[in-house]
Amino acid sequence: MILPRFDVLVPGSIDEACAMLKQYAAKGVRILAGGTDLLVDLRRPIVPAEISTCGGCASHKSAGVRSTIDCGWWEGDSSPESDRALLTKVQDSNWKYPQYLISIHKIKELRGIEVDGKGNLRVAAMTTITDIERSDVIRENWTALAEGADFLGSPLVRNRGTIGGNIANARPAADSFIPSVALGGVLDIRSEKGSRKVAVDSFATGPGKTVLGKGEIITSIEFPAPPEFSGSAYYKLANRKSLEISNVGVAVWVALENPDGPVSDIRVALGAVGPTPILAESVKKVLIGKKADDANIKQAAKAARDDARPIDDHRGSAWYRSMMVELVTDRLIRLAVRRSGGEV
Amino acid sequence: LKKLITLTVNGVTHELAVEPRRTLLEVVREDLGLTGSKKGCGIGDCGACTMLVDGVATFSCLMLAIQADGCNVETVESLAENGKLNKLQQSFVDVGAIQCGYCTPGMLMMATELLRRNPHPEEKEIRLALSGNLCRCTGYQKIVEAIKAVAGE
Repeated sequence: MILPRFDVLVPGSIDEACAMLKQYAAKGVRILAGGTDLLVDLRRPIVPAEISTCGGCASHKSAGVRSTIDCGWWEGDSSPESDRALLTKVQDSNWKYPQYLISIHKIKELRGIEVDGKGNLRVAAMTTITDIERSDVIRENWTALAEGADFLGSPLVRNRGTIGGNIANARPAADSFIPSVALGGVLDIRSEKGSRKVAVDSFATGPGKTVLGKGEIITSIEFPAPPEFSGSAYYKLANRKSLEISNVGVAVWVALENPDGPVSDIRVALGAVGPTPILAESVKKVLIGKKADDANIKQAAKAARDDARPIDDHRGSAWYRSMMVELVTDRLIRLAVRRSGGEV
Repeated sequence: LKKLITLTVNGVTHELAVEPRRTLLEVVREDLGLTGSKKGCGIGDCGACTMLVDGVATFSCLMLAIQADGCNVETVESLAENGKLNKLQQSFVDVGAIQCGYCTPGMLMMATELLRRNPHPEEKEIRLALSGNLCRCTGYQKIVEAIKAVAGE
């Protein structure tokens, strides 16, 4: 099946991209990064965000994800005939799917991994997942992010997919999103009006929905320097090793006061068990100020389970996911503590 | 609405006018007539369309031709040397790594990228590199063996 008709704009700078976002907002515009999600979604017009209505469909007047399947525009399995028919139908109707894609691949400042003098990490939005996976400095100091990159999609997806795109798509199981929440990532967001910073843990508002406003673009994500005696880990529980969406994904970041001492801070992020990645706040109450011993870790894992809000779907039942949140969180806290220099 | 792009494919530079919505795979197959790269799923699941874009293994079904403007593209047609199969291709034939053959161009390009990066990969590295390329004949074992045979030299 061919893609629907659209024009592609190729800005040379972030400012130019922001100007284009504003200029074409009324006609429907999306940012094209790696394309591993957007170009798939465009083959069926399931594209949310800048599209305000889905054209003549009474059931979808409100904002949100509009699926052609839900509206009855498209039914059953696809075939070239049905796809062509759909395409004609969509193009002949006043359906508003994006008419413009802004491909940001030529903006050099949107690519790269930098560590500043204070040891903080800045990953530009168009940095590919492969670049993150192969970065020694990330693997050593922000381990959960490198492990998230290991688990994401397949080598081919990682070669094209970007961290900015993975986060902007706001899927609750996104493998670079979950570790970014645990590691306390902060997004740098630009628009024509200027820039603002948003913590990754408060970026997503629902599946595919974010606080990103019209005309805004993610330019980078920053991670604080890891304190001494800290460590992190990510694990994705899934049926296959590659090209899979997790049943449960857990990222843990922990800091100890000293190798034998109590936990000074901990952040546990849960994926695929809620409408957005979840920062398990109750774990902090259980573990901060206490020693990371067997009993406390077990209790912390139970707290993470209570924070999860899984649903039943074809990947697993809510009950199974709850159990697995507890199990994986338990194991990962232990791993992160060992990586922090502690023993457990 | 067509846009002009420059594509270097297998060492030959082409100036092409393409519709923005067309993928690299469509342009290479339909406009340049290089039909070695296959379209399997069209949504980045199977890897049959794998090409090397500036040396990086890429789903050509999920890259717009416009995004490849100015890039150096290599397809499976670039592998043979002077009309003869290269070592990797010959190894696929010798080991019996080809059944229906549909995944083969993608497997070969993925293996080519791996062997350039790491001429002597271990078996688990080979399996990891191929983990996004599907063979629905499920002939993975022989594909891995064919690559191992070249990697061991």
